Amino acid sequence: MLEGAEFYFNVDHGYLEGLVRGCKASLLTQQDYINLVQCETLEDVKIHLQTTDYGNFLANQTNPLTVSKIDTEMRKKLCREFEYFRNHSLEPLSTFFTYMTCSYMIDNVILLMNGALQKKSVKEILVKCHPLGRFTEMEAVNIAETPSDLFNAVLVETPLAPFFQDCMSENTLDELNIELLRNKLYKSYLEAFYKFCKNHGDVTAEIMCPILEFEADRRAFIITLNSFGTELSKDDRETLYPTCGKLYPEGLRLLAQAEDFDQMRRVADHYGVYKPLFEAVGDGSGGKTLEDVFYEREVQMNVLAFNRQFHYGVFYAYTKLKEQEMRNIVYRSSSFEVPIL
Amino acid sequence: MPIARQTSTTYEHLTSNTHAVCSSRAGVIWRPMVCWRRRASFCDCYKTSHVTKMLMGEVMREAAFSLAEAKFTAGDFSTTVIQNVNKAQVKIRAKKDNVAGVTLPVFEHYHEGTDSYELTGLARGGEQLAKLKRNYAKAVELLVELASLQTSFVTLDEAIKITNRRVNAIEHVIIPRIERTLAYIITELDEREREEFYRLKKIQEKKKILKEKSEKDLEQRRAAGEVMEPANLLAEEKDEDLLFE
Repeated sequence: MLEGAEFYFNVDHGYLEGLVRGCKASLLTQQDYINLVQCETLEDVKIHLQTTDYGNFLANQTNPLTVSKIDTEMRKKLCREFEYFRNHSLEPLSTFFTYMTCSYMIDNVILLMNGALQKKSVKEILVKCHPLGRFTEMEAVNIAETPSDLFNAVLVETPLAPFFQDCMSENTLDELNIELLRNKLYKSYLEAFYKFCKNHGDVTAEIMCPILEFEADRRAFIITLNSFGTELSKDDRETLYPTCGKLYPEGLRLLAQAEDFDQMRRVADHYGVYKPLFEAVGDGSGGKTLEDVFYEREVQMNVLAFNRQFHYGVFYAYTKLKEQEMRNIVYRSSSFEVPIL
Repeated sequence: MPIARQTSTTYEHLTSNTHAVCSSRAGVIWRPMVCWRRRASFCDCYKTSHVTKMLMGEVMREAAFSLAEAKFTAGDFSTTVIQNVNKAQVKIRAKKDNVAGVTLPVFEHYHEGTDSYELTGLARGGEQLAKLKRNYAKAVELLVELASLQTSFVTLDEAIKITNRRVNAIEHVIIPRIERTLAYIITELDEREREEFYRLKKIQEKKKILKEKSEKDLEQRRAAGEVMEPANLLAEEKDEDLLFE
């Protein structure tokens, strides 16, 4: 769209980019993680976090401190920052933000639909929904009796409408299909996001497209790996692969035929980017799992996004890095909740 | 006298017999048999449950760690899991086992139905979720075993207490009672024998006195010449009925 973004970018988005870079600078460093590892209890964790940018975010919490409380508070903080960015954004950055929230919205919608199926009260489920994925029609989900009602009444207003159109052919919602539905929605979402970034062109496309390609291929690999030994047929599996990655189309076809990890590995060996990743995977217990390796690569790419200026990728990268940091802290703190008998 | 001796032997024989029967039925032989077998299985139970409890601690720790790992990779899947719960996959059957006369319940687990969470974490965290499922399944199996051991422990404990109480009761109440009865019977029999003996003696004495008295009388009468000796067949005398000699 705009070549030479350095001329126009700062007019609309300069303030927010500066802000997000400041936020990125306050992510936990190696030293902070070393301190966290040396903590003995959850109280120590709280004290250590007070010295970082998190500050006194746990100050209003009553005892006893639990991991889920820490998790909720961190998420609230992230939400506040995200909402601030979003509220101050202009087009097309605001569409970009909407795309980012779509993935959380998909999870929330699946949760609500499941709850409606099980006749659970909406309030309980609303508490469990991801705050970044809020949309205004959330409470109305339980009014709908059948999925098509749900779609027509509720979801058509949300940004998720076009993704549902791709998978409205199956109207029955049992558990198997809930997961398939979730993955199909995510596939169409990813492809739409990819197209948006590509059409935007410029530095954003240069940064975001590789990240999204990697996300698509990663999903393809993980879905294949996890569907070994389940009832998921190969054709079903193929419909879940997002097509915006490097693996499309030959790699995806080969993956759909794969029966075990080694065949998957051979498919990955065709692609220079994925070969070293698979080689880094340890075998069995001890050593890294494929998921760990993928996480590391994702974080690497996100960090590299900050090396270029004048693109929207910094916001995406910052959110993902912050989420990873939250996961790390929760993982570290949950070892204090493990019962020692 | 021979009669008296006979009865006393019969009585002695009887009493000695009951005494032998009582002491053989008294827990002196009975107690080791049942109690020992129960105590042996009790000790086994205790040792196995101790070992299992230690193992349980480790298995639970490992399971909790794998839960943390799964949450790290797959995000928060707890709501999805809770919402999709319908039937139990692992169920327990209770069977009865007889050990040393005590019926112990034994729990056995069996799988039913398919895994309804096969596709959870399809897009991320599936491997960790599978590991988590395995770990917790192991923990559940161990828990079932522990439950069986614990119930049998408690039941055996009760049974042993009851048996102990019975044995104590028999030892300190029933047996002394029977022994006292025995002693009483013996004394009674002895007394009767003595009575009999005494009676006999008295009778003999009386007879003796009577005899002496009658002899004395006879002497006196003979001396007075009033007594007619009866005819003695052996004395040579003339027989009047003989006509010819």
